[in-house]
Amino acid sequence: MILSDLLDAPVRAASGDLLGYVVDVRLVLDGPLDGGILVTPRVHGLLVSPRTGTSFLGYERTDVRSPALLARWLRWRHRGTFLVRWSDVAAVGGDVTLAQDYRRWSPTFPETVHQHPTT
Amino acid sequence: MSPRVRRTALPYDVDEDLPREPTPAGRVLDARLHLLDRQTLDVDDVPVACVDDLEVRTASGSGDVTSGASPAYVTALLSGPVLGTRLFGGRPPASRLHRILWRNVADVGTTVRLGVRGEDLDVLWVERWVRDHVVGRIPGGRHDPQ
Repeated sequence: MILSDLLDAPVRAASGDLLGYVVDVRLVLDGPLDGGILVTPRVHGLLVSPRTGTSFLGYERTDVRSPALLARWLRWRHRGTFLVRWSDVAAVGGDVTLAQDYRRWSPTFPETVHQHPTT
Repeated sequence: MSPRVRRTALPYDVDEDLPREPTPAGRVLDARLHLLDRQTLDVDDVPVACVDDLEVRTASGSGDVTSGASPAYVTALLSGPVLGTRLFGGRPPASRLHRILWRNVADVGTTVRLGVRGEDLDVLWVERWVRDHVVGRIPGGRHDPQ
């Protein structure tokens, strides 16, 4: 599978209700060391938002507050975004279906984790 | 307009304060935010390609990921002709996407740094072919400008 099969895919609850779209895939570098320098990234969860556009800026999942107007607007646009763990994904293929007892988590990066690898 | 769900139709409260996850043991990356469209540089800081996609496989190495029942891992960065499919939809055939194995990745930052030379990667075969068969046949094309 390639990641594009997941990105922008509709996400449904087990009942069939549409919950949103996959706007990003959260990875955690804690997989096996496959003979390289970095360990293999594990798919940790899916970020689901009611909207698909403009999420690439990531304002709804970081603590970035500036430019203030843009940050507030984008955070408002993406309210309702949540993280669902990979283990709560019941089926992948076209639509993504979540397990009956899936749990929603805050989409923000975990505290104390390296948040800005670009710096 | 991009697809969206009316918030009134959602089965949950969008303004609910969700709990934060416990901090995972490893570094956290969001694929679209931190990896896709990033430039890759080889061990000599020579640009290689952009990260157009990622290959995801199960722990057993199968590319057939059907659910979250078993862990899935990113095994390779993919690069290829994706401009057309991004504009018009669809995706290029798998044979047109070149793989850079994750084991060759040395660091992820503003760019994705590789621990190998780009010359050894399949992703640059077009560039090598054009250099050897086109540019190299132009008079003066086989040495640095004077």
